[in-house]
Parts: sequence; structure tokens; C-alpha cells
Amino acid sequence: MFEVRNIAFTYRKKPVLRDVSFVVSPGEVVCVVGANGAGKTTLLKVLATLAAPDSGVVMVDGQNALAKPLRYRKQLGYLPERVSLYEDMTVKEYLNYRAALKGEPLKRIRRRVDEACEMCKVSEYLRSPIGSLSAGLKKRVALADALLLRPRVLLLDDFLAGLDGEMRDAAGPVLSAAAAFSSVIATGHELDDLAKWATRFFVLRDGVISASVSTAGVDRAVVLGRLSSALRGGAA
Amino acid sequence: MSPVRVTWHRTIGRARSLYSTAFAVGAFLAASAALFAFKLDAAEGVSLSVASVWAMGVAPFLPALAAILAMDVWSDELQSGRIELLLTTPVREREFTLGKFLGVFTMLVFATFLSFASTVIALRVYAPSTLAGIGVLGFCPAFLALMLQGVLWCAVSVAMSSIFRHAAAAACASLLLLIGIPRGGWAALLAWAPLGRPAFGEMLLDAHVVDMSSGLFSSGTILSYLILSSFFLFVATKNVAICRFGGRGGRSLRFSTAFAIVLAGVFSGLVVELVNRLDSKLDLPVGNLETEFSARTRGILAEAHGEMSVTCFLSRKDARFRPIGHFLRRLQRESASLGGIKIDLCFVDPLWDLGYAERLVRLGAAEESLVFEKGRRNVVQPLADGYDERICASSIQSLTMPPQRRNVYWTIGHGEMSSNEYGTFGMSDIARDLAREGYRNMPIDLAGDAQIPSDCALIVVAGAKEDFSRAEAGRIDAYLRAGGRLLVLLAAADSGGVASLLPGWGLRPSQVSITGAKTLSSTDVIVGEFSEHAISKPLQGSRIVLERPISFMPSAAAEAGAGADRIEFTPLAKAGTAVVAATVERGVGAGADLSIRPMRIVAIGDAGFVMNGQLAARANANRDFFLNCVAYLSGTDASVASGAGANALSTGLDRAARVRFVVVLAGMVPFAIFLILLAVAARRRCRG
Repeated sequence: MFEVRNIAFTYRKKPVLRDVSFVVSPGEVVCVVGANGAGKTTLLKVLATLAAPDSGVVMVDGQNALAKPLRYRKQLGYLPERVSLYEDMTVKEYLNYRAALKGEPLKRIRRRVDEACEMCKVSEYLRSPIGSLSAGLKKRVALADALLLRPRVLLLDDFLAGLDGEMRDAAGPVLSAAAAFSSVIATGHELDDLAKWATRFFVLRDGVISASVSTAGVDRAVVLGRLSSALRGGAA
Repeated sequence: MSPVRVTWHRTIGRARSLYSTAFAVGAFLAASAALFAFKLDAAEGVSLSVASVWAMGVAPFLPALAAILAMDVWSDELQSGRIELLLTTPVREREFTLGKFLGVFTMLVFATFLSFASTVIALRVYAPSTLAGIGVLGFCPAFLALMLQGVLWCAVSVAMSSIFRHAAAAACASLLLLIGIPRGGWAALLAWAPLGRPAFGEMLLDAHVVDMSSGLFSSGTILSYLILSSFFLFVATKNVAICRFGGRGGRSLRFSTAFAIVLAGVFSGLVVELVNRLDSKLDLPVGNLETEFSARTRGILAEAHGEMSVTCFLSRKDARFRPIGHFLRRLQRESASLGGIKIDLCFVDPLWDLGYAERLVRLGAAEESLVFEKGRRNVVQPLADGYDERICASSIQSLTMPPQRRNVYWTIGHGEMSSNEYGTFGMSDIARDLAREGYRNMPIDLAGDAQIPSDCALIVVAGAKEDFSRAEAGRIDAYLRAGGRLLVLLAAADSGGVASLLPGWGLRPSQVSITGAKTLSSTDVIVGEFSEHAISKPLQGSRIVLERPISFMPSAAAEAGAGADRIEFTPLAKAGTAVVAATVERGVGAGADLSIRPMRIVAIGDAGFVMNGQLAARANANRDFFLNCVAYLSGTDASVASGAGANALSTGLDRAARVRFVVVLAGMVPFAIFLILLAVAARRRCRG
């Protein structure tokens, strides 16, 4: 169980997040949507321990994750909004490096890398230098990195941006597979694509979660309608 | 694998894929080799280990190499945003910093090792004599000294890289901090201080390298480097950690981090002060640079009887403390082995031994001096003037033997170099040495009716530019006929001073231009070939340096005459076949039988042979040669100094071989290594 309680964050006297709370159960894929500047990226940075919140806690299985950040980061997979990888490395070298950095024993690294590459469909590029890959492929490599050690919490920041239609379609099964072992929290603007595989939406507006839209048993068009309404400021 | 090892591996891998690494290492090798070759050229004939010369050639470029290698280790992560990926891994910031630091340091060790290996191989091929008595192992202290400094340079550069997002800005900041401020500050200090370098000694960073490469390790220095390195690594770690403290919630963390950095800085400063106060030194026997004491020193020690004490009034943390103690103990042992005066040694630290210090102050001794005492008499020798064998022997002599003041007259009025001039072209340094040896320096103007005084031990004509008048030359001629002694430093063969007088006394100056075959600038002529004469024999193995010297040959007068009128021409020093210093003597042997004082002239073919600038610019045995000339002319006969002796650094290279050595070491080897590293980087970049 991944739980966010009363997170608040202020940047240069401007409140970016205010009293954000939600719970993500294992197997859930939660999408946080909102207008530009709503605080989506900041929220994920706080959850990824890249920013210290003014107040609030992040609980993983009932433990305060922010109190023991090293332990929490072992269970964390993070894909930043702006993907920047080591261009001089091959995909295999990069993923090996990242797995070693995340503390995976040497003998298990190869298996973990193969698994992640298989999930993200980058196995055929293992020997290619990252510098020679397209932006979309780089994003898939970054996603493989985030999924490397089967993290308990997977944070994906605007990860559909820059991907073509085919790749967006391919992202659904990847996240569904990831949800088997992770609580997935993603952000983005592509409501159509996100609605295909998200189990729940949170609408972030001026740093506050203004609406929660569940997709379980609801027609996608209805979900999109509710989301659009919530994003405009109406009731979900 | 531990995160430190993973990061270390990654940092090295990244450095290998960068063209800038190839360029930096190649440039470092070329620049350090060129400076080494230059310093080796300057150290010819000096009692100095080749390992120290190599270390002094490499040390100034290590900070620049560290700055370039480390400039993007953090700044690139910060600028590209990859820092976010790093900070979401279960790795502490200090582990990242340590891994990156070790990666940069490994590259620095690799580059320094390449410099060491190429230098040793080039020396083995071109100048094997320089490695005699030292071997490859003799380079270890020099290598350790450089690596100790390298640790600090890498730590500072990594810290700068964590502060600046742009690699170039980080490199500039590192260069400013590691080179600009220390070297610029030192240059400003020297420019501001009227006495300049002699008052301050070597720059601290250079002095550490020289000390350690010659085997003198100081616990205070080593710990200071390590403590400061730890501080800068701490700064780097905290700078990275501060990336997490962006919002208001991190404000207190930002303040506490900044406070921690300030506190660590103050603490590091205090600990550095403490370890320097509790300093202890280890003197490793590196190379065999000890010279034997000269015949004159041994004579003084053997002839002196009774007991005397030598007190070293110096702080124990002073870098000179250990070598002075080492030297004084050698002097004590030498005297005991000769059955001479019993020397008691005493070391007084002005900070700790207050009772003893008070007594020394009452005697008129200032801090940083040697006090020689025998009975109620004492001689205080300031260490600023040196503490070498000659100075100590003179002090012992002045206490144990009756004083013999001899007057040396320096001619004036013809554009001579003055013994009272303290500038580059003055002779004040050598005049002070003469005074220490018991001579009284007096000016003499031979114009008008002035006569040469009867107490004149010798006359020095130091680089006169104008000819002496007929009357002046006549007075000198008459003085010489009566068994006078003359020391001439000649600027030109056919004019100036007494040049026209010399052929009549057996010396013919020749204006044939002599160029140096052993130096890159052919104007400096290094001379190491000495005759068996009393002046030059003790200097065997040393080198004297003359700038554009003229040469001498015997004139017809030297061939003529018999018995007491016979003039003997003796070459003292030769550059190839050219005699650059010579002496003539009339009345030797027969003269003594007839109680005639023999006439003696010594001529040296360089007007600025012992001017202040020449003595300071290039280490040489000029001073010793000159003092031996004065001792010989004044009738002492015993040589005063023995030069560097058999342990003098000698490359045995002529100019052509030296040029080949420089081209290979500073050109071809660095270029080849640059191409190899470039190929490695290109191969990594062009994979796939």
C-alpha cells in the first residue's frame, strides 16, 4: 500500500502543493493530470525524494518512507520528465550500470536487465550506443531503467510525451505488467491514451487534488468527460 | 559491487570516451616534460636528485590536469538533469562523490605514471648517468609527493564541479583556486616584499614537493593535505545533497548544510593548525646526495681543539629543522673522526625552550640562526644567509683560530660591477661571502695620485667597461712586479680595465666566441672540466656557468723568462679546448727561495661570473670557484669550497642530444599518447 498524506510544498513563497493526500493500492495504475503548472512534476519529485516537502508524509506499507529514504529508494522506480541518459554508453552498459548502482548483486543483474528490456521492447538495441537512439527509444530505455528491479513504487513523469502512436499503444501493456508488482503513479496530458490503462485519475488543480475519477466499470468516454469537466473546474 | 566502485568505474569509462581527456593528458605530458627538460638544464652540476627535478617539472601542471579531468563529473550531471536519476537510487551522496573523486584521481595517477615512465625511459636512453645512484625506486618519494598534492587538487576540482553547472566554469574556478590564487598571491607577495624570495624561501606548494621528493616527509604537511581534501569532498557532497532542498521545506536543511560547510571549514583549519604544531618529520635516505667535507673544512676541524657548542635556534616545525640537524650531526661526527674539536649540539625551539631562548637572545641571536660558542666568544649566523659547510667552517675558524683580516680592494671608476650594489648586476652577495670568510671589502680608485695600500691582499677588477688610464695601469703593473695579486673578471678581450696589461703578464685574452654545447640557450656555457690546480681541483664534478665567455691563452711573456722571472700559465677551467679561466704566476719555486712574494693573476672570461643575478639564476659552483680564487690569491692557498662534488647532477648531454631528448620526451611521446587516447575515445564513441 502506497499512501500520500497531507503533502504540502512551497517554492519561493508560492504554494505549489497543498494538502495532497491519496492512496494507491498494489496493482493500481494512478494517473495525476492537470494543467501546466498544476504541480504534477513537483508532486512526483517530492514522492521521489528529490524535493523536501513543507509537511506531510509518504507511507509505504505503513512505514514513513521519507524517514528512511535509502530504504525507500530501493523500492522506487523513477522516470523523469526530461530523459537524459549517458550517450557514450550502450543500452546494456547503461542498464548494467544502473542496476549495479541500485544495489543489485552482479549475478542477478543480467537477468534483471533482460527482463526490463523484454518488457520495454528494447532487447534488440542492447548493443547500440544510447547516443544513436531516437528520442522515443531513449524514453523506452529510461522506462526499462525505472522498471529494472521490479520497484514497489513506480513514478512516471509525463512519460507519453514525445512518443508516437505506436509506442503509446505499446506503453499500456508495459504499465499493466508493471502494475503486477508496483503501485504505479503517472502524470501526463494525453487523457485518451492514459484512460486506456489507468485505474484511477487524480485531477490536480492549483496544488490541490480537486477530483478523483475511477475508471473501473465506467465507459472511457464517460471518464474522459468527467476528467474534462474536472480540469475546467467543474464537478467530476 | 559497492556504489563507490560502480561510480568510480563509470567515471573512468566516461573520461576514456572524452576527447578532452586525450587532449588534457597529452598537453600535461608535453608541458611537464618541457619544464622538466628546462629544469634539468638549469640543474646541471647541482647536487640535486633527478627525481626532485622531475617532480618540480610535473607539480605545476597537476592542478590544471585535475581541473580538466574533474570539470564535468558533477556539472554535467547537474546540467543534463541526470542528477535526478542518480539521486533516486539508494546511494548516499558521499558515495557518489567518493566514486567520482577516485575516478578522477585514478586518471591523474595514470597520467603522472605515464610522465614518470616516459621520463625514466628517455633518461635511460639519452642520459643514463642521471639515474646512477638513484634508480627507479628513488622516484617513489617524488611520485608520492605529487600524488599527495593530486589528492587535494582532485578534491577541490570535484567540489568546484558540484558548484557550477557549466563544466568550463567549474574548470575556471578550479584553475583560479588551485593556480591563480596561490601562484598569483605568491607573485604579489614577492613583488610587494622588498627582499623578495630570499625572505620567504620557496613557495609552500613547491617546497613541499622538493622536500618530499628528497625524502623529507612531514606529518603536518601530509595530514594537512588529507584534511583539506576531506573538507573539499565534504563540500562536494553537501552541494549535491542541497539539490534536494529546493522548496520552503528544505530551507532549514539548506541553512543547516551551509552551516555545516562553514563549521567543517573552521574545524579543518583548526585541525590543520594543530597537526602542523605537532609536526614530526621523517627523513628517508633517498639517493646519495651527501657530499664529503672539503679539505679546508676538515683542516679547520682537525686543527681546532677543545670544546665548542653549536646551537640551532629554530622552531622544530620549520622545514629546515631536520636538514640542519642532519648536517650539524655530520659535522660533529666528522670532527670526532678527525680527532679535532669536540662539538656539542643543542636545539632550541623559540616557542617551547623559553629559558634557553632567553639566553640566546641575550647573546644577540635572533630566531632562525645558528649560534657557535667557544668559551666566552660566540658567532651568530642567521639561517637566512645559509647554513652550508663553508659558512659553518668559517664560523668555527673564526672562533678557534686567531683573526686574520685581509683586505680585498675592488677597483672603481671604470664601470666595474660594485660590491655594494644589491641589484641583479651587483656583487653584494659575493662580497658578503668574502666578509664572512674574513676578508674586508674596500673600494679603491686608482685615478689621481692614489697608491695601492701596502695591506692589500689582492685587487679585484670586476668587469670594467672602460680602459684604465696609463697611470692607473702603471700602478697596477708596479704592484704586480712587487708580487701583487690580481683577480680580473673580463668583459671583452681587447678593451676594458686591464685587458691591455695582461699579455705582458703571460695572459692573452681571445675574443673567439664560445657557445654552450650543453644548454638549450647557447649563451650559457656550462664548464665542468677543471685542472689539478689548487683553485679548481676541489671543484671536480661540479659545474660553473659563464655567459658568452671569452677565452685565454698563454702570451709570449709566459714562454719567456727563467728562474724567478719565469711566468707559468695554468688553465683552470676549459670549455672544450677553450680556456675560460686561467692563472699566471711569476716567481714560483725560485721566488720562494729568494724570499720574493710570487706574483699571481687569475683571469675569468665572464664579467658577470659572480654577479647577484648569475648566482641566483642558475645553481652553479661559481661562488665556490671565485672564493677559491680569492683564497689562492690572498695567500691562503687552501681551497675554501668543494662545490657539489661527485653527486652533482650530470646529464652528459651535448646540445644536439639535449634537443633530441626534449623532442622525444616533450613532443613525440605526448603526441603518441594523445593519439592513442584519441583513438580509444573515438572507438568508444563510434560503436554500433
